Amino acid sequence: MKRDPRRSRILLLAWVVACFALSAVANLAVLAGAILAVAVLLPRQAPRAAWRALLTATPVTLAFLSFAWAYAHFITHAPPDLHAYAALALRAIALAFGTFAVLGAVDLLGALAPWPTLSRLLVLTLAQIHALRLLARESWLGLQSRLPRKPSARDGLRNAGGVTATLLTLSSRNAREISDALRSRGF
Amino acid sequence: MHIPDGFLAPTITLPAYVAAAPLWVWAVRKHFGPDQIEALPAVGALTAVAFVLQTIMIPVPGGTSTHLVGAALLAILRGPLVAFACESLVLLVQSLFFGAGGITVLGVNALAMGLVGPSLAWVLWKAIGRHAPRVGAFLAAYLGLQASTATVVLALGLQNHLSPAQLPTPWPVMAVAMMLPSLTVAGLCEGLYTAVALGVLSRVRGSLSA
Repeated sequence: MKRDPRRSRILLLAWVVACFALSAVANLAVLAGAILAVAVLLPRQAPRAAWRALLTATPVTLAFLSFAWAYAHFITHAPPDLHAYAALALRAIALAFGTFAVLGAVDLLGALAPWPTLSRLLVLTLAQIHALRLLARESWLGLQSRLPRKPSARDGLRNAGGVTATLLTLSSRNAREISDALRSRGF
Repeated sequence: MHIPDGFLAPTITLPAYVAAAPLWVWAVRKHFGPDQIEALPAVGALTAVAFVLQTIMIPVPGGTSTHLVGAALLAILRGPLVAFACESLVLLVQSLFFGAGGITVLGVNALAMGLVGPSLAWVLWKAIGRHAPRVGAFLAAYLGLQASTATVVLALGLQNHLSPAQLPTPWPVMAVAMMLPSLTVAGLCEGLYTAVALGVLSRVRGSLSA
């Protein structure tokens, strides 16, 4: 389905404003309302966005805040205010959920078309990330298959150092090809 | 290591954007202007490399793992301003597509991880790297990462000081939670990795400096 770039721009702008506004909210009911509002306004994107937020932002936020709460409890000898921690966790999750839902509903690169440098940089980066990640992953699997034991930190660092040279060489070659392609298309 | 969305209020995130914006404009004008068509794809490629480096996990004793950052390596190879632009772009991609960091804290994260750390790394590399490349690379990356982490802790501590209701965790807790792994594990891995990578690159290219 083709998405209207103008609508995407408006939605992105509203999302940025909402993110900044929401980042100052500590009221649990307002934060829960914001999550509900996103789910109602973007019902098609909501399930996938919720799943992504559950997999990415939620574990990191909960792990960090659990540690912080327990440590603050330990050094102050009193249980810290749970409401503030809950609001922080809900705020972080609400922002992640909203981000995924909105980005699922917009044509990001189309919306960024008025800023050609940014959109080209995003295209150039995203176009290479997958291939380079595969290369790094295969290098790691190759290292594992060559060693009779589990790779140590030293093995990992040496492998990372080696693969960096490959990544830089490959990306430089890609950069030249992309540069030529851009020139040939009149950019 | 970077700050997630929701941890900082606009009282900190908006001034950080105001501080970062001129540097982004400067970096774009200096390195990716209309007369530098080669630079744009090259920086896109370097950003992709920096992004991928951050997905490489290093196993550490105890059964856990840490990941590399690569910002010091970029600063040493291409200068601090390019490192700042690339790291900002990495953070933008991570926040938009991978749920790490966030759009409200992009300015703070970019300043901490893309500017403070890589700039210190670049200065240290310029001072020490010519005389002792391996030691210089290690120290540059190690201390650069500590500077980035300390800046993140400073921002979080400032938020707690300004509004404990927004961020209830006291700054000593933040400092322990973030600086301890950075000083003992992540910094060492980053330093060793940068020294190894620069060694490999010097053999491949015959020259290290940008």
